[in-house]
Amino acid sequence: MQGRAERTERLARAWRLWMTAGPGLFWIVIFLLLPSLILLGIGFFSIGNYGNPHLPLSLEPFREVAGYSILGWSPDNIATILRSLLQAVSAAGLTILLAYPVVFFIVTQPPALRPLLLLFVILPSWTNQVVRTYAWMELLGPGSALSHLAQNAGLIPPHLGLMPGILAMQIGLTYNYLPYMVVPLYAAAEKLDWSLVEAGRDLYASGRRLFWSAVFPQTIPGLLSGIILVAIPAFGDYVVPTLLGGGKSMMIGSLIASQFLDTPNWPYGAALTIFMLIFTCAGLIVFRVMSKRLGSSEGSMI
Amino acid sequence: MSQHLTPPIRRALLLTSLPVYILLYAPLALIAVFSFAPAPGGTAAGLHWYDALLHAPNVLAALRRSLTLALGSSILGTVLGTLMGFGLSRFRSRARSGFAAALPSLIIYTPIIMPSLVFGISELIFFNLMHNATGLFAAGLLTMGIAHVTFQAPYVALVVFARMAGLDPNLFEASHDLYANGRQSFLHLTVPVIRPAIIGGFLLAFTLSIDDFTISYFTAGPGSTTLPIYIYSAVARKGISPDINALATLMIATVIGIGLLQYGFTRQKDRLAVPRTGD
Repeated sequence: MQGRAERTERLARAWRLWMTAGPGLFWIVIFLLLPSLILLGIGFFSIGNYGNPHLPLSLEPFREVAGYSILGWSPDNIATILRSLLQAVSAAGLTILLAYPVVFFIVTQPPALRPLLLLFVILPSWTNQVVRTYAWMELLGPGSALSHLAQNAGLIPPHLGLMPGILAMQIGLTYNYLPYMVVPLYAAAEKLDWSLVEAGRDLYASGRRLFWSAVFPQTIPGLLSGIILVAIPAFGDYVVPTLLGGGKSMMIGSLIASQFLDTPNWPYGAALTIFMLIFTCAGLIVFRVMSKRLGSSEGSMI
Repeated sequence: MSQHLTPPIRRALLLTSLPVYILLYAPLALIAVFSFAPAPGGTAAGLHWYDALLHAPNVLAALRRSLTLALGSSILGTVLGTLMGFGLSRFRSRARSGFAAALPSLIIYTPIIMPSLVFGISELIFFNLMHNATGLFAAGLLTMGIAHVTFQAPYVALVVFARMAGLDPNLFEASHDLYANGRQSFLHLTVPVIRPAIIGGFLLAFTLSIDDFTISYFTAGPGSTTLPIYIYSAVARKGISPDINALATLMIATVIGIGLLQYGFTRQKDRLAVPRTGD
């Protein structure tokens, strides 16, 4: 009898679960999981005359990703992928350099003031990404004061701006993703065990050594989360390279988007997407293994 | 904590952080300054470009569409998200583990972690194929709304789930003991108790929708230009222009104003500091 009551109870629970969570889960499966599987599948079709997917199945789109086309082999795609990787890595590096002083500045303020100071770092990221990127077009464009400065210093030819180009793209990405580095680092710094610093100071350790051996190791979990949160979206960013990068410095995100917007080539675009997702997953796995090995918790992850 | 660092180090921290704060706000402030530029041919700085916005039918139509889209999608997103958060918190079997038990969480996190470019392109292809096959789902506000609900519902579910996790499970046992059926107990106990989370989730869904660019851009049709898409097309076409400065300033002021208000009204422990790209 006991077993039967238990089974009815379990069935009732499952029924209620599907009545409440079911519709939302179903919605996501139909309108996101299914479409993204279709997108990935299209990467294995032949390329039709109008860039539409065609039977038979083939690896032609992936050959195109590697740089082969009717015109022969070109290194453009490899350059684009390397450029995206470099931009993602340097965006992470620059946000780290900017975030550390800010985070430790906030942590050393009175507790009542800290949430407000953190909010002021985050607030700009609540504005629209197009608007934020547009602001940098204004700052770096050919007629801007910064461009005049660079022209007079002979850094760029006259009549050209600091934008479009690789530098502008780098600035745009760093600006856009800085809060994503600050928040997890702050979470780690706020929990910092300062007794280690005190102990080191008692042993007359220098400031630099104190930082590297007592403070820095404790912030590594936050740092790793920050790197993931900055590098992955920066790698696939679409708005920044399109508006600030210009035609000569494409990134993989803008390359993918143009296969679906300008001159459609769906299978090629889908193959590029698969390639980008593989890179993303590889990055995630590497950092997951690293943070596991360091024994960090994922509490600082958003 | 301040006593752990010597005054020179604290001074150095201040001197290095100040430029970062300036860097964060300078571009936004510059847009605001330029938005007061004089009218063409005129010399006096003023509200000329704001006045021009009020007389631009395209801008007003885009604003109306943004608000319609945000309101419609957040209502459905909040309903679906609340039910998901509630159901998963109350009825998920704790005994079972493994793939079947983790599946709902995996589904909920997909829209949140998927790069918005991949999200947008998947929807573009899906709606395109569906339209060719059935004649329904023509690209427009409807397809944008469907896509928005897909990313709003999981965020609402997370907010509601977090609130449910903070409740005493005995509360539900008590209502059961008082012979309340599932529907009664949901409407008269759960909804009032988690109301702050539902309202918070709705506001989050609304701002996510207003802010979204990439996913909207790929699901939009010819007649469904929303504000972020309007700005993007104008910028891509003609670069920097004073009327866009005025529009961008209004958007920045609204978002920062709402952010500060939200901060002022929420209790200290409920404050959720999350950066958003809003793409």
